[in-house]
Amino acid sequence: MRKLLVITVLLLAGCGVEGEVPSTEAVGTGVPVIYTVNYPLAWMAQQLLADTAEVVFPAPANVDPAFWQPDTDTVLRYQQADLVLLNGAGYASWVARVSLPGRTLIDTSGAYPEQLLTVPAGPSHSHGPGGQHSHGELAFTTWLDLGLARQQSQAVSVAAQRLLPSQATAIEQRLAELQRMLTVMDERLMALGRQLGERPLLYSHPVYQYLQRRYQLNGRALHWEPDQVPDEAQWSHLQGILQSHPAQIMLWEAQPLPEVQVRLDELGIKTVVFSPMGNRPPSGDFASGMAANIERLEQ
Amino acid sequence: MSGVLYLAWRYLLWHRFKTAILVLAVTLVIYLPVGLQLVVQRTAADMTARADSSPLLLGSRGSPLELVLNSLYFSAGSPPSLDYGQLQELRDSGLVEPIPLYVRFHSAGHPIVGTNLDYFDFRGLELSRGRQMVGLGEAVVGSRVAQQLDVGAGDAVVSSPESVFDLAGVYPLKMWVVGVLAPAFSEDDNAIFVDIKTAWIIQGLGHGHQDLARPEAAAAVLKKDGERIVANAALVQYNEITPDNSDTFHFHGDNDSNPLTAILPVPHNDKAQVLILGRYQSHPELQIVQPRLVMDELLATVFAVQRYVLVAMVLVGIATGAVVLLVFLLSLRARRAEMDTMSRLGGSAIAIGSLMLAEVALVLLASALLAATLTGATLILGGPLLQAVVTQ
Repeated sequence: MRKLLVITVLLLAGCGVEGEVPSTEAVGTGVPVIYTVNYPLAWMAQQLLADTAEVVFPAPANVDPAFWQPDTDTVLRYQQADLVLLNGAGYASWVARVSLPGRTLIDTSGAYPEQLLTVPAGPSHSHGPGGQHSHGELAFTTWLDLGLARQQSQAVSVAAQRLLPSQATAIEQRLAELQRMLTVMDERLMALGRQLGERPLLYSHPVYQYLQRRYQLNGRALHWEPDQVPDEAQWSHLQGILQSHPAQIMLWEAQPLPEVQVRLDELGIKTVVFSPMGNRPPSGDFASGMAANIERLEQ
Repeated sequence: MSGVLYLAWRYLLWHRFKTAILVLAVTLVIYLPVGLQLVVQRTAADMTARADSSPLLLGSRGSPLELVLNSLYFSAGSPPSLDYGQLQELRDSGLVEPIPLYVRFHSAGHPIVGTNLDYFDFRGLELSRGRQMVGLGEAVVGSRVAQQLDVGAGDAVVSSPESVFDLAGVYPLKMWVVGVLAPAFSEDDNAIFVDIKTAWIIQGLGHGHQDLARPEAAAAVLKKDGERIVANAALVQYNEITPDNSDTFHFHGDNDSNPLTAILPVPHNDKAQVLILGRYQSHPELQIVQPRLVMDELLATVFAVQRYVLVAMVLVGIATGAVVLLVFLLSLRARRAEMDTMSRLGGSAIAIGSLMLAEVALVLLASALLAATLTGATLILGGPLLQAVVTQ
């Protein structure tokens, strides 16, 4: 009946009126605003755009941006941004649970999906008609592979040039400088990887997957937090690992508690802080932070 | 002259019942074709304007008309679905800015439109109250929805089951209204907008439930087989997304294979539109349509019938006019004695003829005024009313 009515109405229509086509272009209001989900991307955007854009990374300094959940007001500000730089690989899972304009989202690791690593999945389960499934995830600390970081900087550059076409040449020049900087660090880590060879390493947390793959390290990951003392079960788990994997170096995201360090020393394990740099460092920037990471590992 | 008019006026008043019928008949003869044509033109103009403002639509192969009516007017059935992954392919082309649409579910008779925030910018929709949707399970409602359901920011709407007999189907999802759109005088006023992911949750493609690995979910575990856990019917699945349980909501598999009913590709320029049209023209599974052409095609198909309708209206008008003329002639015949009396009282033939003509003129004038009033009212109220009927 309703279709009949539609057809009747259209039947009787004599002519149409040209409607205005709404524009999707945002009205420019000065300096573009770029939001990012982690510090490395904010640093790259800042390096590429200098003062031609406002780069905002709103996560508080004391949180891991990978697991941070922005409040409603912050998400509303992300919605207003001219560009939102995502790390991809499932990093910052809050992005998948909020509404953001598709046209502003840039997945900086979208160019290399085949290079992303998966972490062991949680237990699979099934219920209802959906069949068996698990909540397995991708490893997301992609930028610790500085080769991938270079590709991410390329993606940031493309998005920035699209946003500010008049700055394209300057952005290209800054990109060349940024990539040179990343290449230098990449080569240092390559050399370090060759030097370490098959020496067993330990990681306090499973965040070094890309570092391990790129620089061919031989490490195994624990689930230890720098601000917590592991319980005896964790120590005995470590003892078990050491039987087959006699590591003498353990990489930490941050300086562990003194009592933990003492006990590791007793086991002959040297602690080395290798910050993933996911959040803004207390001082310096991504380049100086990574350089410090490399120096600590080189010693 | 004023005496003639006065006598005609008194005559019509004295025979008010007959006069009212005459005025009504003549009014309808004038109003029906004119008023209907105006309403139809305005409605058609509004509908084609929406088609004009939507340059392209991408959907699965099927009826182009169904795709256009579902995607632009949120009416008709759901067209065959296409994968969300097509959205990224379109975006990667660099030719268009694609907007996803999933128009399948309803709440209290209003369509639930799963999309993203780009849709609001594209249609120029502004919020009159509240804020934009942020999290899963949040909704922004059109002005007519807010009025008819009496909901505003802080209230909730619940999705309707697709079938009352689908007892094993997906639970209705309670969605919180966070904003109300300003009237846009379009189909958007009648819609409930949610994020595309919320629409998938309504379908059951994403859900939130207890963590089966935790001790408090033990009652919901049917069996454990190594790393595999099978849940029983006692597993609590959430039918409302709150800040407390939003972290538990997840999708199975890749979002790229989740369904859309259409994609609204907004070309960056005319050249991009031509290129994207060419790219999908001979696609084996997808069709790309220009909504205006689909609507024009529909109009062209039915224009022949429209002519029959107009001819019928003209014939009805002629018949009514003949009846009115007959009424006047019979009236003259019935009033022969009255006219003889006027003649004996000294009234000239011209004066008597003028009196008769004045009566006819007054009836026609009253009818014309009434028809004009009705046409004016139709112009103001008829378009939106008819459009509401058409799009609901």
